[in-house]
Amino acid sequence: MAATRMTCSECGMEMNHHADKLDWSEPEPADPELGGVIQEAHTCPGCGKSSTRRA
Amino acid sequence: MSSTRPIFIPVILGTPRQGRMSEHVAGFVLEEVGKREDVTTELIDVREIKLPVTDAGEALKDPQFSATVDRADALIIVAPEYNHGYPGLLKHALDSNLKEYIHKAVGICGVSAGPFGGARVIENLLPVMRELGLVTIFWDVNFSSVQNVFDETGNLIDQAYVKRFDKFIKELIWMAKLLRHGRENLPI
Repeated sequence: MAATRMTCSECGMEMNHHADKLDWSEPEPADPELGGVIQEAHTCPGCGKSSTRRA
Repeated sequence: MSSTRPIFIPVILGTPRQGRMSEHVAGFVLEEVGKREDVTTELIDVREIKLPVTDAGEALKDPQFSATVDRADALIIVAPEYNHGYPGLLKHALDSNLKEYIHKAVGICGVSAGPFGGARVIENLLPVMRELGLVTIFWDVNFSSVQNVFDETGNLIDQAYVKRFDKFIKELIWMAKLLRHGRENLPI
């Protein structure tokens, strides 16, 4: 789980971090062990909105 | 915590081809999904998503398409089989989103004029679904010899498809509820 919770831009609730996606499209710095950049996927339990951010 | 919002399952009509028989399939699917309690739906027609072909991927996001997918709990893709594969415009549209799909359910209705009911297009779509972050169910609906399944105005002739679709949609709704609970409540 991410160290800090994301806040939903729609309804202001704390979002749930439920997935990590490896992204090779981002420029450096990449995670040298995984070979890319981790994008965290978060979903709001209030309205269902999804968001991502770099880990 | 369990969300009480209705499950939202849009239907993607995956071909822009003129005279497309898949339009009848999508109409049937939309009508059947609309009969379910606590489920809402709407049609996403790839013909109406205005994506340029001078680029590809998330750089092309169509705001309305992306917002609809973001709001969705599951997707139904109606995909005809063209030369044993999926329509190029369907893939072009699907590739324009990513985070919007993660940990959501998807079911595929294959369509063909021949006897296999789009079995090959479904198989070809499965790895694409997985890479997009979608979770496939194990029921499909195969619309074989689709020209004999609907009349010219899109009315269903072969009523066996009602029961086949019922199995499919029950599984999809179950998976959609499960994954919504996970997305909203279970941290990784």
